[in-house]
Parts: sequence; structure tokens; C-alpha cells
Amino acid sequence: MKTRVIISLAVLFFTAQFFIGAKEIAGPGKPTYISFTIPPGWPKPAHDIFANNKLSEEGFQLGRKLFYDGRLSKDGNFPCASCHQQFAAFANYEHDFSHGFNNSFTTRNAPALFNLAWMPLLHWDGSINHIEVQPLAPLTAHNEMAENIDSVLKKLKADTAYKRMFKAAFGDGIINSQRMLKALAQFTGCIVSSNSKYDKVQRGETSFTQSELNGYNTFKAKCAGCHKEPLFTDNTFRNNGMPINTSLNDPGRMKVTGDRNDSLKFKVPSLRNVALTFPYMHDGRFTTLGLVIDHYRTGIQVNQSNLDSLLKNRLPMTNQEKNSLIYFLNTLTDSTLIHSARFAEH
Amino acid sequence: MNKQRNRIFFVPGLWITDQQLLRRTLVHKQYYSTPLLQRFFLLLISIFFSFSVFAQKQTGTLKISFINTVNGIPLVLNDSVYNNSFKETYSISKLKYYISNVRANKASNPQKEKNSYHLVNAADTTSLHFSFSLKSGNYTSFDFLLGVDSLRNCSGAQSGALDPLNDMFWTWNSGYVMFKLEGSSPQSGQVNNRIEYHIGGYAGANNVIKKISLPAAFEVIAGNTTELIIETDINKLWLGPNDISIVQSPVCSTPGALAKKVAANYSKMFSLKNAMIIKN
Ligand code: HEC
Ligand code: HEC
Repeated sequence: MKTRVIISLAVLFFTAQFFIGAKEIAGPGKPTYISFTIPPGWPKPAHDIFANNKLSEEGFQLGRKLFYDGRLSKDGNFPCASCHQQFAAFANYEHDFSHGFNNSFTTRNAPALFNLAWMPLLHWDGSINHIEVQPLAPLTAHNEMAENIDSVLKKLKADTAYKRMFKAAFGDGIINSQRMLKALAQFTGCIVSSNSKYDKVQRGETSFTQSELNGYNTFKAKCAGCHKEPLFTDNTFRNNGMPINTSLNDPGRMKVTGDRNDSLKFKVPSLRNVALTFPYMHDGRFTTLGLVIDHYRTGIQVNQSNLDSLLKNRLPMTNQEKNSLIYFLNTLTDSTLIHSARFAEH
Repeated sequence: MNKQRNRIFFVPGLWITDQQLLRRTLVHKQYYSTPLLQRFFLLLISIFFSFSVFAQKQTGTLKISFINTVNGIPLVLNDSVYNNSFKETYSISKLKYYISNVRANKASNPQKEKNSYHLVNAADTTSLHFSFSLKSGNYTSFDFLLGVDSLRNCSGAQSGALDPLNDMFWTWNSGYVMFKLEGSSPQSGQVNNRIEYHIGGYAGANNVIKKISLPAAFEVIAGNTTELIIETDINKLWLGPNDISIVQSPVCSTPGALAKKVAANYSKMFSLKNAMIIKN
């Protein structure tokens, strides 16, 4: 008994000592912590996504490697980046549906990825409640990466580069699902789009042309109720009056809540980088911004029971207003993001 | 103060490995360069820990064991055939459920298990019991959640019992499957006569998390282990308070009304079979 007490005391002293001094003991194996910057004037993120996932340079780099690594998919062909391409603001360029394992297709349009920290819920129907668990969906979906976590971890463990990178990011070389998911979240969570022409105008660094300005005014009058500045979405779920796509019969938010009032509601997407993210909507049904605006002008099915009240009278617009609106939407392209080496494959 | 310091560092030296020794030397240096205030703080921590070691004398261990049965007959996966109250025949190939937030109650100061998340898996005998230490004394009841509390359903990537590797986390709709039963029945019209109940839902109207309270008078004696043996009756899944027949509902795999009914039924499956003190 006495020896046990002595030993436990000693162990406790030792650990206590370690914690007190820990801050100052720098050396190999300790990640370089970095901070996540909220662009000036922006609202607070919906989640403090790095509160339990301390952001570090090494964690970010590991996440980036995972994001671009085909081995996360069953046959090696479908890394995250195959459906989320940087030059398309991490949407899938020109694809209504994305290619997945074994000649299959996704059943929804791959959204652009940026400003994820401001989203209370992910996916078009809000089915995913946290950025860290999001990758489980594409990883395991038979029409996407078609893998299972166990087998992905085996592949990662067999690679010494990953051993090194997990160690650098987390202090030891243990590779597990939690760390893999947290690293991916460090990468995707850091993708912030806040340097478009629109942002530069807001910061007083440049100014809109006359047609862009006209378009901005139309936007504020007709669209901003849902596509709210500065994120260009309010991240709510709404029905914008499109007829159901009968080949998919996608119920949208209702799939998650089971509530009829949520039928055909989808997450309001951000319009940042919208010039790059065509085709548009959850099923990629519109190929151009012109067609999208025509939907709001004349196409909205006003008899839908769940139609959002802001759209009851459609959004009438002259051709001139439509054209300037498109000019404005083009100012939301963030060329810094799509060319940033930090987010590119290394 | 000096004496205190020596004791701290020589004692660990007795059993640590070379590599740790190297590190310890680093720490040792660190100690001397630590400002006085921090050293004082260290002393406080030391005293605190010494007390906690002595306090340990007042603690015992509670071991919780599960025996899964059908109608009181110990469950055998795959090979045994059972009947529910609708005279439907079935066999079970998989049974897993979460037990979390375990708490033992006495007149004052209920004892909660720390980081209390367990996945009971009928196919893995090591998962059928777990233990934690708690204050000695006379306890009057025992409770836990059948399922994972809602907070952990939306707190990102977890580990241990909550690792998505355990195949109990939905990937298409975030949240844990709280209870999973798979098997087959000739009364099921599904492919291969499959029956499959994946019961989950943690929020709002779809919440299936159940608090299970078992009245149990038991004593925990310092330094000893008390074992609570809990028996389940899986047959409760189909009967009361809701009638659920295999022919009508062979599968439930999404949160919603049916999942809630199934959960209301199986939440009645636990009973305390025995409480006994095992001398250490
Ligand atoms: C086969 C194509 C494909 C692959 C591979 C893929 N995704 Fe996606 N991603 C999609 C689609 C489609 C959606 C929309 C899903 C939905 O709403 O149901 C999506 C949605 C997302 C979202 C939510 C965005 C939002 O606005 O709600 C994130 C984050 C994301 N993916 C990250 C990833 C990560 C990380 C990986 C790799 C682990 C990955 N994706 C792999 C197609 C893919
Ligand atoms: C009532 C809310 C609401 C209003 C007002 C609104 N939208 Fe939308 N918008 C949505 C929703 C919801 C979606 C997603 C619908 C879907 O995919 O099913 C969407 C999608 C879009 C998309 C597709 C983006 C992508 O990446 O797929 C564009 C572009 C768009 N809206 C532009 C506009 C413009 C321009 C206006 C003003 C003329 C406008 N919206 C007004 C709710 C609204």
C-alpha cells in the first residue's frame, strides 16, 4: 500500500510538473498552432469549428494531402478534389452530377466549398451537423468514394509519409479516424472566400462600374432576402419554387426532418464565386446565370404550397436589370482563392 | 522547498526508461527556470494530489455486466430461432447498443462515471461489462442513457466507443445509431427475409434517447468491487407499449415515428438480475 501511494504521488508530481512547464518546452513534435481569421465586418461563424480541433500548420497540411489523395476512395480515382476543384471554387466544374465509383453519379450537384465555418448545417438538405463528420458521407457512399473507414486507415498506416505527418500534426504517429477527420476539417474549414471585387469595393480599394452598381442595387432589392451579404447566403432552407425533378424526387430538407412543411426546401447556397460554380441548383438544372434569373423572373411555380413568401409574386425584372445583375454576380469571383497555392495540391 | 524538489525528481527516476529519463532531464532544467509563482502552484497541485491519493481509500469499484436474453434464454447469435408475441419466428445476427452517462445514486452526491460511453455488442464478450470507481456507500438506484446523449451526436469526430469505425454512426444523416438489431425472419418480405432495426435520432421530435432507471439497493465497499448484473429481454422490441410485428415493420433505418415506437418498446428490456459484492 505504502509503495503504491509513493508511486502514484511520484507519477502525479511528474505529470503536474509536465503540465506546468509544457508551454515553454518547444521542440520537435510540437505542432505550430495558427489562428483562423474572420474577415473584418463579417458575422461570427456559426460554429467555433476549431475549438476542439486546434488549428495547426501541420494539421492543415495533412488535411490538404488527404483532400487530394485518391487513396481515400476505393479504386483510387475519386479524391475529394475530383468533385471539388479549386479552379471552380471547389465546386465540380461543368458537372450537374459528379462521377463516382464504378461509373456512378452523385444524386446532387457538388457545391462549392468555402466559408464552411459559417454554415450551421452542411449538405443541400442540412443532413450533416458538423464539418468533422462530413467526410464520412462521401467516403462511404457507394456512388462517391465507395470506401470504408477501416480500409482507408489501413492504406494511410502503410504510408510512412502519413505517419510522419500525423506525428507532426498530433504529436505522435497514431493514425485513427478522429485525427483523419479533424485534419480534413482543418483544411476545408480554412477555405475562406473574402477577396472578390465586391469585397475590395466594400473595403474602399476599388469601385464598381455603373452596370455592376445597378446590378448590386437590383440584387439588394430582389435577392438579398435569402442570399444575404456578406456571405451571400443566410444558410436557411427554403423552397425557391422550382418544379420537382421527377427523375430524382429529391424531397430536400424533408428527408431529414420528416416534416411536410420542409418539402422541396434546400439550403440557400452562397453566391460567392457563382460565375464559376455552374451548373446551378441542387440538381444542376440551370447551366447559366441567365437561366437562373429567368427562373426567378418568370419560372417560379407560384402554386407550390411551401413556396417561400418572398417569391409569391416572382421577382419581375427588365432585361436591362437582368444584365446588370449578371455583371454584379461576376464581381463575386475571388481569384485569390482559386489561385492560392495554399489550397492547391502539393 | 529544496527537499520537496528532490523528491519529485528522484522517485520517478526509479522506473522510467532511458528515453523518458532524457525527457525528464529536460523537464528538470525547465523546473529550475520556472518562476517562483509557478513553483508555488506546483506545490499546491502536489498537495492536492496527495489528498486525492488518500481519498482513494474511500472508493470502490462498480462493475456493470449485461446478459442479453430472449425471453430469459441467453441470446445465441445466428443459430437460435426465437418467437415473438405475434408468433413470428426470427433469428438475430447482430445486436449492438449504446450505454452512456452511467450514474449511481445515493441519498446525496450521486456518482457519475467519467467519459461514460459504452457500446454493448453481443458478438464481443469483452463489451458486455465495464467498471468504474466511485465513492463507497449505500446506493439506492442506478441509471444510464440507452443511446448517446444529443451533445455527442453533434460534436464532430469522436473516438473510442463513439468512433465511426464501430459502424454505429450514420454517414448520410449525422447522428448515432443508438440501437442496432439485424437478423432474419420468414415473416419479413425483405431481401433474404432480412430484419433490420437501426434506431437513432437525437433531436426534437425524433429523439429516441432513453433514460433507464433501475431501482437497485447495493453497497459499494472501499477497495472492493460490486457487480450489477443487468439482464435484457430482446423480445420486448416487438411488444408493448407498441405492437410492432415483423410482417408489417421488418425494417426501420431512419429516425422518425417508427423508430420512436421501437425505442419505446426496447427501453423496457432491462432488469436488474443481481447485485453482488466481489471481494478484491
Ligand atoms: C463523387 C463526388 C464527391 C466526392 C469524391 C466528394 N464530394 Fe463533397 N460533395 C459532393 C456532393 C454531391 C455534395 C452535396 C451532397 C448533398 O448535399 O447531399 C458534397 C458536399 C460537400 C460538403 C458540404 C458543402 C455544403 O455547402 O454544404 C463538403 C464540406 C464536402 N462535400 C467536402 C468533401 C470532402 C472533404 C471530401 C473528401 C473526403 C468530399 N467532399 C468528396 C460530391 C463529392
Ligand atoms: C426566397 C429565397 C431566395 C431568393 C429571394 C433568391 N434565392 Fe436564389 N436560391 C435560393 C435557394 C433556396 C436556392 C437553392 C435551391 C435549390 O437548389 O433547390 C437558390 C439558388 C440560387 C442559385 C444557384 C447557386 C448554385 O451554386 O447552385 C443562384 C445562382 C441564385 N439562387 C441566384 C439568385 C438571384 C440572382 C436571386 C435574385 C434575383 C435569388 N437567387 C433570389 C433562395 C433564394
